[in-house]
Amino acid sequence: MSYMLNPGAESESNIEVHKYYSGTVLGAALLALVLQAFLHKYGRWSELIDLPLLVTIYFGVSRRNPVTGLFLGAAIGIFQDALSHDPIGLYGIAKTIVGYVASSIGARIDTEHPASRFGLIFLFFHFHQVVLTITQHVLLDLQTPFFSPRLLLDSIVTAGAGIVLFALLDRLRRSS
Amino acid sequence: MIDTIRRRPLALLAGVVLAQVLLLAFQIKRENGEDHVRLVRYWAVEMLTPLERAGTLAFSKISGVWYGYVSLHDARAENQKLRGEVEQLRLRNQQLESRVAEEQRLGVLQSFREAHPEAAMLAAEVIGASADPTSHTLFINRGEHDHIRRNLGVITPDGVVGKIVEVFPASAQVLLINDKDSGVGALIASTRTHGVVKGSGDPEPRMEYIVNDEKVQVGEAITTSGEDRIFPKDLPIGTIASADPGNPFQVIRIRPAARLDRLEEVLVLLSQKELTPKKTDGGSVAPSAPSSPSSQPKTGALKSAPTANQTAGIKSPALEPQR
Repeated sequence: MSYMLNPGAESESNIEVHKYYSGTVLGAALLALVLQAFLHKYGRWSELIDLPLLVTIYFGVSRRNPVTGLFLGAAIGIFQDALSHDPIGLYGIAKTIVGYVASSIGARIDTEHPASRFGLIFLFFHFHQVVLTITQHVLLDLQTPFFSPRLLLDSIVTAGAGIVLFALLDRLRRSS
Repeated sequence: MIDTIRRRPLALLAGVVLAQVLLLAFQIKRENGEDHVRLVRYWAVEMLTPLERAGTLAFSKISGVWYGYVSLHDARAENQKLRGEVEQLRLRNQQLESRVAEEQRLGVLQSFREAHPEAAMLAAEVIGASADPTSHTLFINRGEHDHIRRNLGVITPDGVVGKIVEVFPASAQVLLINDKDSGVGALIASTRTHGVVKGSGDPEPRMEYIVNDEKVQVGEAITTSGEDRIFPKDLPIGTIASADPGNPFQVIRIRPAARLDRLEEVLVLLSQKELTPKKTDGGSVAPSAPSSPSSQPKTGALKSAPTANQTAGIKSPALEPQR
């Protein structure tokens, strides 16, 4: 957590940029989208976790490239919109910004510790929610809340699941 | 160009976000905006639905394996548990049914006793039978402690069972009327013809000392005559199952009124006092023993059997108290 709260703790040059086997990012993103849509059939508990958001954050902070981060976020968000009944661009905008910010933060801090990952996911979840809600307020004239107990629960569950998912995705890293 | 983009990611972000904002605005402005982004949705769905379909198929396969094999273990354990519960419930049910049947039998005995307060009776439970297959005897749970003594009559509401032949401190042995050593003073209810019902070793005892000239009919009731000084008069013994001419007497087989092979509770007559008629369920007084043969019921129901009629008759050695 201290790494995250104190970005200057390590210099940018010391931050390792992780590389992955080819197809890993695309496969993980598709799998996250498929699972998110697929698991809804088997219970509302799956709504507690935002798998596409987790993949966006993970590859953003791991690859530490804002350009790929924002494009990955945009692609995942647009796919998420396309698979829902929402106007296309709603999640796209939110995840584009999350992907960009995650990449930018990932280039400055180390996010390997589970506690820092939990905090990072928790904050990104609410950041994503804020961007989403602003978009809904401004462009769609929808009065959705910025915060609610349900969102708090969702953020905690997503952060907890994110620790496990990040650990699994770490195994797909290509050794340098 | 790519380098420029890489150097200015913030500008790229702004561009991508702006593009999406415009896309959103475009969709919102059009009432049927869905049509204008249908291609995007179409591609997305076409790309992901095969994966979803594969996931669903895999999930159903895994579920099938789980429920078919892995979960079968639980099903087997549950099956065994349920089977055990069924066995326990079945046993419990049998116990309850047995208890209900026992209550019903005891109720019949109690009703019978209450219907005949003039005759001292003692209810007893059959606790055993003879180990000798040719000996038709029973053991009851009443003995010297209950003032049981030898040569007391044993009956059920259906009819005569036998007599006490041995008494122990807490039990007694009953000689059934179909034992070869048994003999009961009897008479044919319809004709008042006297004879002796003796055991033959078969389930069906025989009525002896009925001459060939005497007309008897199958189904006629046989009752006690009271001559043996064990049973009061006119207790039902049974009905005639068959009657054949013999030398010098007829061979008459009796179908016992009491179910001698299924006795569980019996009544021990503590005296030979006769049983008086009681009111029937309909409130009418049951017919007393007839003075004329034609009025005697053939089935010899106990409530309608008693009479004060004292008839002298033959005395058979079988009627003598036995040791």
